[in-house]
Order: sequence, then C-alpha cells, then structure tokens
Amino acid sequence: MIGKVDLTQEGIEVKKSACYFCHQNCGVLAYVKDNKVLGIEGDPEFPTNQGGLCCRGNIALKHLDHPDRVNYPLKRVGKKGEGKWQQIPWNQAIQEIAAKLSSIREQFGAEAVATAGGTQRTDDWARRRFMNLFGSPNGFHNSHLCWIPTFMVETAIYGWCPFDLDIGASKCIVLWGQNPGASGMPEAHHVAELQDKGMKVIVIDPRFTESASKADLWLPLRPGSDLALALAWIHVIIYEGLMDQEFVLEYCEGFNELAEHVVDFSPEWAAELTWLTPDQIRAGAYMYANNKPGNIQWGTSVDQIGKPAGATMHARALLRALTGNLDRPGADLLTGPSQDYLTDEELEGNEFLSDEQKAKQIGADKFPMVTWPGYSKISELTKKTWGKAPTAEWMCEAHPPSVFRAIASSDPYPVKALLISATNPLASYGETSVVLEALRKVDFMVACEYWVTPSAMFADYIMPIAGALERPIITNSYGCADFMLTSQRAIQPMYERRNDFNFWRDLGVALGQEANWPWKTVEEAYFSAIAPIGHAVSSFDEFVEKIRFHFPEREYYKYKRQGFATPSGKVELYSTTLKELGLPPLPQYVGPSENEIDNPELAAKFPLVLTTGGGFMPFHHSEHFQIKDMRFLRHSPFMDINPATAKEMGITDGDWVWIETARGRMRQRANLTEAIHPKVIYTQRCWWYPEKDMRDFDLGGELGGALESNGNVLTSTADDYCDPYSGSWANRGLLCRVYKVEEADLKEVM
Amino acid sequence: MARYAMVMDTRHCIGCHSCTIACKIRNELPTYMIYNPVTTDGPHGTFPHLNMLFLPLLCMHCDNSPCVDACPTGASVQTENGIVHVVDKKCVGCLSCIMACPYGARYHNHETGAVNKCNFCLDRVEEGMRPHCVETCHQKARIFGDLDDPNSEVSKLISENRSFQLLQELNTDPCVFYIY
Ligand code: SF4
Ligand code: SF4
Ligand code: SF4
Repeated sequence: MIGKVDLTQEGIEVKKSACYFCHQNCGVLAYVKDNKVLGIEGDPEFPTNQGGLCCRGNIALKHLDHPDRVNYPLKRVGKKGEGKWQQIPWNQAIQEIAAKLSSIREQFGAEAVATAGGTQRTDDWARRRFMNLFGSPNGFHNSHLCWIPTFMVETAIYGWCPFDLDIGASKCIVLWGQNPGASGMPEAHHVAELQDKGMKVIVIDPRFTESASKADLWLPLRPGSDLALALAWIHVIIYEGLMDQEFVLEYCEGFNELAEHVVDFSPEWAAELTWLTPDQIRAGAYMYANNKPGNIQWGTSVDQIGKPAGATMHARALLRALTGNLDRPGADLLTGPSQDYLTDEELEGNEFLSDEQKAKQIGADKFPMVTWPGYSKISELTKKTWGKAPTAEWMCEAHPPSVFRAIASSDPYPVKALLISATNPLASYGETSVVLEALRKVDFMVACEYWVTPSAMFADYIMPIAGALERPIITNSYGCADFMLTSQRAIQPMYERRNDFNFWRDLGVALGQEANWPWKTVEEAYFSAIAPIGHAVSSFDEFVEKIRFHFPEREYYKYKRQGFATPSGKVELYSTTLKELGLPPLPQYVGPSENEIDNPELAAKFPLVLTTGGGFMPFHHSEHFQIKDMRFLRHSPFMDINPATAKEMGITDGDWVWIETARGRMRQRANLTEAIHPKVIYTQRCWWYPEKDMRDFDLGGELGGALESNGNVLTSTADDYCDPYSGSWANRGLLCRVYKVEEADLKEVM
Repeated sequence: MARYAMVMDTRHCIGCHSCTIACKIRNELPTYMIYNPVTTDGPHGTFPHLNMLFLPLLCMHCDNSPCVDACPTGASVQTENGIVHVVDKKCVGCLSCIMACPYGARYHNHETGAVNKCNFCLDRVEEGMRPHCVETCHQKARIFGDLDDPNSEVSKLISENRSFQLLQELNTDPCVFYIY
C-alpha cells in the first residue's frame, strides 16, 4: 500500500524512474497503470538514496499535474510582461521561433542568439549541439556559481577534478562551505555512517548548519574569507611538517615557489581576516593533514565568493596535493572521463562551431578560465592524457552577467534573442536589476518551462517541458564522471510537454540541421551513448531495466602510469597553465569582493557581512514555491540574525526586516538565532511568490514578488566584483545593513 | 505477538522534514494535518559554542494511552501489536482524545469530522512493509520494529545506546525512543 493505493492491483507496472528535483537524481520506483502514475517511493536498490527521498522527491506527483504547470506551447498575445497567451500547436511554435532566429542570424550574426539553462536538469548537451550547429558561442548557465570554475581551476593544477570521493576508507572529510544536511541528502547519510566509524568531519561554514551541528570541528569563518583560511592551512602544512614529502617530491612541481609564497600566510595573519583564532585554524589543518587518507568535499560556496574565488579554488587544490590526498584509496579521486561510454562532450558537436565564432564568446576576453581560451587549453591537455575532454556545455560558456548587459547595451555587440530553459534568471542570477533590464529589452525571448515564472512572463513563446517522471535520465556528474546511473520515464510526457531535447532537435531540424541530429528521441540518443559499454540490450529502457548502473573498476594511482594531465605531467603547484592564461600561477591573496579592511567607507555605511547563497529544505534554488504541501514548512522567507544584533536594532523574532546593500534592498523575516555571528546576516536566496500578481510593475502587477525577498537583489555582478579566473560573482561576503520594515511598508509586504 | 515501536536516532536526524512530507503526501493528508512534525531543539549556547538536536515527533503509541481511555465511543483503539489508531466510522468528533493526548499528536479532520492521527502506517505494517516516514528517511534516523523481539534492530538500538522517551513522567509509557 502507498496510502490508499493498492500496489498489488492488476495491471500495475513498476518503472525504474528517478527524482528530478536536484541533481542527485535519487532512484524512484513508480507504480504505473494506463500511463498514469499511481504512487511513488524511493528505490531501495538505488545506490545513492537507498530508498530515501527528501521533501522534494516526495511531492513528485503534486508537481506532475499541478494546475499551474505549462502543458501546451503558449504564444504571447498581450504586451511583454502582461501574461496574455494563446495556446498554439508545438510545430507552429517551432516554425515561428525558427523563422525569427534565422532572421536575427542574418541581420546580426548567430552570436546575437543567446541561451541560458538552470541547474543540471535539462538535456544540456542537446542545447549545446543546437548552438554549435546554429553558430553561436553564447550559451550559459548559472554554472559559474556551481562547481564549474572549481573543475577548471583544479584541472589546470592536476589534470581533472576530484568530485568523486572515495570516502569509504576516508579518515577525515572537510565539508568546505557545504551543508549536505540541507542539500545533498544521500551524501549526508554516507558522511554520518562513516563518522560513526571514526571518520572526522570538519565543517567550514559561517553558520551553525545541520551539518555543522554534527561536526567534529566547526570553523565559523567570516563569509568570503576562505582564501585566507586555505593559505594559512597551506602555511601550517608546509611549515609545521605535515606534508606528504614523498608525494610532493616525486609528483609535484613548483614546491619551492609555493613555500616561499606562503611564508607570511600564518594562522596569526589569517586570524584577523577570517575571524577565527590561530588555534582554530591550526586545529583544522592538523585534523585534515593528520587523518589520512582524507577528503575535501566540494561545496558551492567557494564558487560564490566573487573576487577571491579562483585563487581560493587553487589554494584548496594545493591542500590535497601537499597531503598526497589525490587518487589513492580513501582520498579524492581523479577518475577522468568515462572510457566506456560516450560522454556529453562527444554528443555536443563542438567541432561544428568555427574558430571565428568561438572568438566572439561574450566574456572570454575578461575571464579566460571557463570560456574558450581556458577550455581549449584544458581540453587539449586532458585529451592527451585521458583521450577525452570535459563537457563544454558548463565548462566553456559565455559570461552570464556580461550577456545580460550586452542585451541592454549592445556592448560588445547586439544580442537580440534569449532562449531560457528551465531557469528563472530573475530569481537565480546575480544582480536582479541587470537581469530585469535585459528581459524587458530583449527583442525575442523563448522560455522552455514547467511554470510561468516571473522571467517567463517576458517570453514571446513558452514551451511546455517534461519534468520528473516524464523523462529518461543519465546521472554522471555533468558528463565528467566515469560512472553512470540511468533511469527511465515512468510515463510519456503528459499533455503537449516534451523533453527539451525535442525542442532543440525540432528547432535544429527547422533550421536545416537534420543531418546532424541522428536520434529522434532522448532514449535513442542515450542508447547510442551507452552502446559502447557492450551490454546485450537493444534499447535504453532495457538497459535501465536490466543493468541500470555502470561502475567501472577503480584504478588508483593512475598518475604513476600516465602522469597528471598538465603540461609537465606533474601536479603543478605553480601552475603554468594559469600563467599562460594570464592568471597568477600561485594563489595571490585577495580580500572578499566587499570587506571591512579594503573598503572601510563602505563598511561604515553597511556594517554587517551578508551571505545569501545557502540552500535550505524543502526548496531547490528558485523552485517549488508553488507546492503548498511543502511551502507550509517555510511559508515566508527568513533571514538569520544574532539575537544581540537584533536587540540593538529593535528587531524581534518574526519581524519583517529590510536587508540593504549598495545595490538595493529586499525584505525577509527575522529568525533570531545564535547560529550566526553577531556581525553576519544570512538571507535565503531566490525567493519569489507564485501566488502574487505575475504581471510587470508598469502593468499593475508585482512580477510574482520577484524583487521583494530575493537575495539576488543585493548581489553585484560588476566585472571588478567577479573572479578574474572565471567571472563568477559574489553572493557571499558582501556588506549590508538591516533595519525593521516600518508599519507603513508592512501592508505592501503582506 | 509483536510490540511495534520506533527509534529516532538523534545523532543522524538532520531535521530535513522529509518524513513529514512523505507522511502527508502518501497518506493524502490535508495541509493542516501534520502527523509527524520535526522540531529543532536549539541551538543552545552562545555563538560559537553551540549544540542543537532535531526531534522528530509523531504519535507515541503509548502502552498506557490516555487518548484511548478518553474516547467515549470506542473509536480510539489500540491493536494487540500496540498500534493506537482511530476507527473513523465510530468517531463522533467530540475531541476528548485531542485534549487527553499530551503529545499533540491528534488532529480534527475538518472534511470528515473525525479525529485522525499517525497509525504507524497500519495497512503497510500488516503487509510486512515499513511505515512511509521510515522508508523515506535518507539518514536512516527512523527505525521501526518489534520491541518484543530482542534481536530486532529497535531492541538492539535501545539496549546499546542511551535513550529517552518524551514526557516519561506522565507514565504514558511511550513506544517511541530517542537515542543520542
Ligand atoms: S535529494 Fe531530494 S530532490 Fe534530490 S534527487 Fe533525492 S529526493 Fe530528489
Ligand atoms: S526524514 Fe529522517 S533525517 Fe529527515 S527529519 Fe525525518 S527523521 Fe530526521
Ligand atoms: S508511521 Fe505512517 S502515519 Fe505515522 S508518522 Fe510515519 S508515515 Fe505518518
């Protein structure tokens, strides 16, 4: 029984599907009868979730046929932002969109068409393929804030990025700005199990999070000061004799330069910058370096600290190298790309994009690391060692804020069309005012969506996209893992919804790309990807039903056989790749994008430190605010403030509070908690209110409350706030002030 | 005969509320009926010297159940396996049990007029399956089983760890154990 549903009734089929509400893709068993899902539960045989499902996973059926879902192609008939739509057939929409894109390409060049994605939960390789064939280098995601810069910087140092932790044999894990207790449920479970067996857990986080509450050591640093901490750890490891000498001598280059570089970065130096004591800093370095093998788990926060982000990633990578915690049992593994199946990169068709068009990628001149200049270099090196390159869709993208600015200003050239796929840039991209201006001004816009989000309100067409339970899924860490987990659709998409793959393919076909789209369905494409593994199956579904997982045998110490995928074949502590790209070969200290030491005048006006990025249950990024059965858990947005600070400002628990930075202000409700430093404010991110009037302000609406409680109203994406390596912007470590929302404003809030 | 009980491993619970949502969705409960909320105990202390625990709640399936005693119609009953539940048809909605339950575990269903509560997923348990909230917990922080079987996981967890029951002083003899 699942509630009132009898699972033993006749005609029920069990489909091996997956959750699609975060990229863990937890395995789901779907009980299906007559193309209707009667019930779901976590799949106990799925290796990651082992039967578990978080809040989001549990509401899949509420999401599947929610009354607000977009079910048919919609064409705008009113003004932009007015929300008047006409339902039209899929093919008509495709033809009209194709005609428009084609005329834009003729007039302004293919680069005048940009596309944006959300999290890794769309058929992104297909979008990339479309863009490559169309001729535009201007596709992007919010990937700059999520692992991608980390991947590229680390690959520059040691030839791949160790996202696959061999934690089974680990003795210590550092959760660096990561809170799996709120974001990565399956991972939280594995960490807890190993902690029971004696593994040490270090949590680096300004907040006393779910994960911090279980940690052996919690380091509550000033938001954005991670670089000072990482440099001080390097200093301690080198100068207090905690290094793996053998590994460093034999497999690393540039040790002397590094040792000299960090000579002054002592814990005493870092204390003032991080707000930690030298003892706390040392305790962390000792715990990590003395409990080997150990891991540093990636978390988004370092990607999101703006200016010091790239240098912090570099420094963090050096910690692994200095302790020898690379590609050995229990440590951080360099798996390389899959040798057994076709990777996303092999499906993207990057060879179709000409060098001339690559050179036009917006942002490539400013931020080399995750654009064509850095990507070309990295892919050349990885191909030499691994035979394959990382996924370009993600690792090689236009700089999002610069594209939004180009739309508004035609600088460096006009961008006339924006196609967004399962993303709500007003809520999720930095500096909302810049995004809003772009959405209002862009000549032509298409949204592939589940919902009519505040961003989709500006679209000329909205295309209905298949969601959880309606699509086949391959899970393999952005196409960069050597393993693979697969899941099938529980049902064919309802109404006229399709996979976004079908959108890009159909659009491609309408624009003359048919010869280069050999697969008609996602399943056909996925089947061609898995075929080289060599199982005797004749379809993707059969693979899911019979095989489902591919975990190649682990090979440790691959560097002994093939070296590291760097120019010297060693771990380049002093990175020649970064140097060639015009970046510092050693991590130079830079303060957070805004801070009290470098910007005392700003700090006088905005005396508190803001962090906006962290995930919180039950929502995922800007999603799920419509789902009442979850929203009741967090009906309104809350910001964390220390009780002592709140008292000074006359703020009591539950009050509406303005949070203001140099960019503007937004409001959330006060949660008085000791979990945060008296000088730090944590706000929830990406809030919007589906229940509010969705129309644009000048048409009498509220734009779904997209500017009201949204952390991104406070962030800056100005070039000099961004990381010079990757262009990622800061939503942590900014300066702010807070004050109570006055009685008169309160009505507006409610 | 079995004596069903639940163990909450507070060392592993992260307060994610997945259990709350799984129960509501799979048992098709209206928004205002929450059989198993999760409360946060803390953070206690002063920054940065803090501690915090999450305490998942639900009906305690008390051995000495005041709600069953308070029910004038015999709608609130306890099975031989210890599961306390309400027979909808017999419930007249007098709310006496709601007042008698010291754990706030009972809800008045405005649609049916009856009082409803966690029934340890009786239908599933009878089929040899585990309750939904147990099944869904990524953290394996909820463990369901038979107290009468000394080899069951719940019995072992209770005997091998420190544990407490909620409002023990009321002599309700709750069958939900919190280990820490
Ligand atoms: S953790 Fe939750 S949202 Fe993510 S895949 Fe699993 S059930 Fe879905
Ligand atoms: S699902 Fe498990 S970990 Fe999450 S709140 Fe419930 S008992 Fe705790
Ligand atoms: S045992 Fe069943 S009814 Fe009780 S709280 Fe858990 S899921 Fe809900």
